[in-house]
Amino acid sequence: MAAPTSSAGRGWMQRARILAVDWALIVIAWMMAEFLLLAFTGRRGPTGMLLTAEQILDLVHYWVAAAGGLVLAVGWSLLERVIGASPGRSLTGSVPADEKELPWTQTLRGWFAAVFIELTFFTGWLITELELVTFLTKFGKAADIVRGLAHPSASVLHEGMILLVQTIFLAFMATAFAIPIAFVLSFPSARNLTRGSAPARIGYLVSRTVMNFVRAVEPLVWALIFISWVGIGPFAGVLALWVHSVAALTKLYSEQIESIDPGPMDAITATGASTLQVLRYGVVPQVIPPFLSFTIYRWDINVRMSTIIGFVGGGGIGYILKPRVDLGEWGEVGTLVLLIAATVWVMDILSAKIRERIV
Amino acid sequence: MAARSNDAAVRIEGLGMVYPGGVRALAGIDLEVREGEFLAVLGLSGSGKSTLLRCINRLIKPTEGRVFIFGREATALRGAELRALRRQVAMIFQQFNLVKRHTVLANVLSGALGRSALLPSLALTFPAEEQQRALGCLDRVGLGDRAASRADALSGGQQQRVAIARALMQEPQLILADEPVASLDPALRHSVMRHIEVLNRDEGLTVLCSLHDIDLVARYATRLVALRDGRLVWDGTPAEFDRTTFKEIYGEEAEPASNTGL
Repeated sequence: MAAPTSSAGRGWMQRARILAVDWALIVIAWMMAEFLLLAFTGRRGPTGMLLTAEQILDLVHYWVAAAGGLVLAVGWSLLERVIGASPGRSLTGSVPADEKELPWTQTLRGWFAAVFIELTFFTGWLITELELVTFLTKFGKAADIVRGLAHPSASVLHEGMILLVQTIFLAFMATAFAIPIAFVLSFPSARNLTRGSAPARIGYLVSRTVMNFVRAVEPLVWALIFISWVGIGPFAGVLALWVHSVAALTKLYSEQIESIDPGPMDAITATGASTLQVLRYGVVPQVIPPFLSFTIYRWDINVRMSTIIGFVGGGGIGYILKPRVDLGEWGEVGTLVLLIAATVWVMDILSAKIRERIV
Repeated sequence: MAARSNDAAVRIEGLGMVYPGGVRALAGIDLEVREGEFLAVLGLSGSGKSTLLRCINRLIKPTEGRVFIFGREATALRGAELRALRRQVAMIFQQFNLVKRHTVLANVLSGALGRSALLPSLALTFPAEEQQRALGCLDRVGLGDRAASRADALSGGQQQRVAIARALMQEPQLILADEPVASLDPALRHSVMRHIEVLNRDEGLTVLCSLHDIDLVARYATRLVALRDGRLVWDGTPAEFDRTTFKEIYGEEAEPASNTGL
């Protein structure tokens, strides 16, 4: 092929993208550095106590970091010939070939990455308040719970089994109802099928955006919404898991469509077939086995999730688990947890076996 | 066979293609292919052979120039008209591109999609006469007994013959073959090429076939063109092709394989 021709417009876009990435990375590094500096200088509040991580976060000069980061990012892009490619250039995949071959210790962006990772770990340690000593020395209180779990009581076995059946069916119905909708939505959500025309691209954006939003909302929140809609019980649980499954399956399905072999699509297109025929012959046969496999996996996940859904009133075994946790009936909790664990274990084996067969 | 005008089977004027990434694959191609010709397209990988063939049946929309197929401007067509034109042009691919999980018969039947009613075809059903025709096409490539097998159960050479049967099912007037034997065992190449030759010689179908084996070109093609860096650099008959033209196409470092007789 002939040499790539790059127009001025693309070059400008690329520079802007690199600068944006550099700016973001440098600002984050700057803020983490200031946070650590404030933390390790041992500042104390008005009461004489050491400041908590949250109070230190309040002291960081974010605007200064933003401005300083911009200056450094611009500086780096101006001095690129002297100090080497910037991290933004690296992440956008346009590092010059001769620089790519250098080991990371010989490039400034390599050192930047190393320092950035270090900063992230130290900052993370402080912000999440990790305390190794407490973890290793204060096990005593939890021992009661563990002892209870290890001595399951038979009193809830019967009720637990019945609700376990409800849990499995709840997860099944949620998954089954999600399949047709996710199947239809996965086509406009696949990048490789939506490059052709402007309406297809808009469909892709809308579908992806809506599905990402739906997926971002936890099933627990959907459960609360549907409980106030259709009342407490397994139906609310089905609806909550259904909504979440539609979004999750759409994503999994569409990613599968994106990874198909385009060859059969080309071949069917070349026969003069219409778009629907190309999808039916060129795409669907390739994605059916992975779709089935994902769907069974989703059912498996829904069984596990329905436990948590039950906590807030969405039916299933979680519904009787919650009050026993609150009352500290650890023996009965132990029974229920064992039932759930056994189910998840069996589902896991079954789904693995079935998926093995299909693919 | 359908009535044809006196026009060339394929006429290409100033064809150029620049991919969205800015890579130029074709530049200023002018070419006329007469009806009934077996035209071999030669060139290194990346010289633009695939792009050229794909611009003809519009799997790719060229960025410059025009393509005429039997006098109709393919580059100006859209939607149903474009699909109607594609029905006249069958394509054979290096990787066969069969629907692997469908049966051999279903793969051949898919060649009839362009003329099939939408709803039955989506349910994978075809009229009895199409099924008969598909079996006939399979017989012609010597695979009548494998109709019920799954496509991916066949060997590479057999799969490519199924792809030829699918092309035949389409009842085309023009065949585009993109390196049809490049992924086959050398011993099987002639078994596939012979079927394409029959379509050309006995049915009078025009064939455009990209190849990189000089032996095959000499044996099957009636005319040969060569591409280099997206430009047409040679046009002539296999008989005129010699060591000097070989170097022109493939560059100074290239040597023909020892058995090419050049």
